[in-house]
Amino acid sequence: MRRLLFILPLLTLALMAGFFAWSLTSGRDPASIGSVMVGRPAPKLDLPALRPGEAPLTDADLRTGKPVIVNFFASWCTPCLAEHPLFTRLREREGATIVGIAWKNKRDDALPWLKRLGDPFKLAGFDLDGKTGLDWGLSGVPETYLIDGTGIVRRHYRGPITERDLNETILPFLKGAVK
Amino acid sequence: MLEFLLALLTTATVAALLWPLLRMRLPARDRLSGELAIYRDQLAELERERAAGTLKPAEAAAARTEIERRMLAAGDAATTTTKGSATGSAKASTPSDAVQKWLPPALSLFVPLLALGLYLQTGRPGLPAAPFADRGSEHPAPSRQLDVAGLLAEARARLAQDPNDADALAALGEGLTLEAGGTVTQPALEALQRALRTRPDDARILYYLGLHEAQSGESKAAIARWRDLEAASPPDAPWLPMLRAEIARVAKAAGIELPPSAPSTQAPQSTMPTPSREQQEAMAQLAPEQRQQAIRSMVEGLAARLADAPQDRAGWLRLANAWKVLGENANAADAYGRADTLAPVDARILADWAEAHVRQVAPGAVPSAQAVAVLERLEKAEPRNALALFYLGVAAEAAGNKPAALQRWKTLLALLPADAPIRGMLEERIKAASR
Repeated sequence: MRRLLFILPLLTLALMAGFFAWSLTSGRDPASIGSVMVGRPAPKLDLPALRPGEAPLTDADLRTGKPVIVNFFASWCTPCLAEHPLFTRLREREGATIVGIAWKNKRDDALPWLKRLGDPFKLAGFDLDGKTGLDWGLSGVPETYLIDGTGIVRRHYRGPITERDLNETILPFLKGAVK
Repeated sequence: MLEFLLALLTTATVAALLWPLLRMRLPARDRLSGELAIYRDQLAELERERAAGTLKPAEAAAARTEIERRMLAAGDAATTTTKGSATGSAKASTPSDAVQKWLPPALSLFVPLLALGLYLQTGRPGLPAAPFADRGSEHPAPSRQLDVAGLLAEARARLAQDPNDADALAALGEGLTLEAGGTVTQPALEALQRALRTRPDDARILYYLGLHEAQSGESKAAIARWRDLEAASPPDAPWLPMLRAEIARVAKAAGIELPPSAPSTQAPQSTMPTPSREQQEAMAQLAPEQRQQAIRSMVEGLAARLADAPQDRAGWLRLANAWKVLGENANAADAYGRADTLAPVDARILADWAEAHVRQVAPGAVPSAQAVAVLERLEKAEPRNALALFYLGVAAEAAGNKPAALQRWKTLLALLPADAPIRGMLEERIKAASR
């Protein structure tokens, strides 16, 4: 019995090594916290427009029969800068409908930012106090939602979208291949 | 200095370890006398107990015999150990004894010696120190970011004068990109694309356009564009290391395997053999005519090999250069053309190519149509190239377009230094054409 006790540390080490090896090789993303939004109707959208003189954003904008990409961004967010060219491309070349929502970002900051980088958003909302972000289960910016024509959330990307996301899910989604 | 201090510390540590280890190994004689003293004490105690009557005489005699037996055994062991260590042969002492004796000092010497060996192998004592405050300069971005505002202001000022100034457009695109922290923004992209129209070979424009492609999810296109740029760059171009690093970074991020055969890590090399050092030395020994003969035969050999491997662009460029040096300008122009069909050549090679063409032009004659085509490309890439300005002027005059000829020659005249020998001739021609 005493002897077995001495094996205990070795056993613990072996268990831990096994877990780390599995974590490293299985492709599990430890940063992923999942999303409860996927498969459900998109949360309420009722926001003033970011660009002066435009109509406010409503739920109807997400139920047009065509897929919509919703992107929460902020001028103070560096990853937003990195994913911006991808949205520009989606708008310019794939003709995607993209709704941008400036999250916890003043108009005076967000508008010049869009002017400087180019504005790929068909509609742009303004969520200064972050309440809409709360409804949408936002953990920060940037986050991106793919919403199908009936207003159901199909994908939720936390963090910047990448070339791989674009090729593997977003482009097929826009073509109607991903449900 | 630091190395010296560390060496000193190591020596002190090893000495501190070795000192007690070596001292502990008492001479076997000392140990024997110690043992014997104990046995003598035991014998004396035995005697006292026997005298006091606490031990029976028979038991006392047995115990005495036992102690005496141990004394003899200790004496024997001491003799063999001293003999063993005196002659240095491991035969007398058992191997485990030797290990116990020598392992600790050997280890305490081995570890620092191993470290020293590794350091001598991989260390670079001559490397300058990198204090924390200086490390930022390894990154080119911060130092360049400082003059982004200046770069942008200058580019905008130049564009205000000439909205189509390709240099200023490229600088604007670069400035806007740096301003956005390295993201090629939409306005930057537009400026770069406009600049590309007049500068299709410009490395800076091509680099940033590739960067835009990489950022907008088209890593393959970006890598292809950068690869072409890499192939078209002279082997000593200052941007090549950065360009290769970027190609590797984007390929890795996008999970694209770079084909191993592609020259991703080195300049585009011809597969054709270059003369070895011995061959070069042997050639230097030859008489001038023989040397010329030998060079010509080598160049002809290269030409023959290239006929079998016409895809070797670097080989064609080398052949063209060789023909040009030998004065075979028609062959040189032809070889440049072959390289150009594989991938368009840059401005520097265009200048050599154009030179090979115009050297064939007899004095007073008009350059051929092929020569004009090359010269026009050269002029596009380098609007102030004297060769292009002069010979395109000649061609324009021959075609009856005197205003175009005059415009070129006058531009050239303004570019020439005051003591240029061809000034007089050029002024004559301008005068003649103006009539």
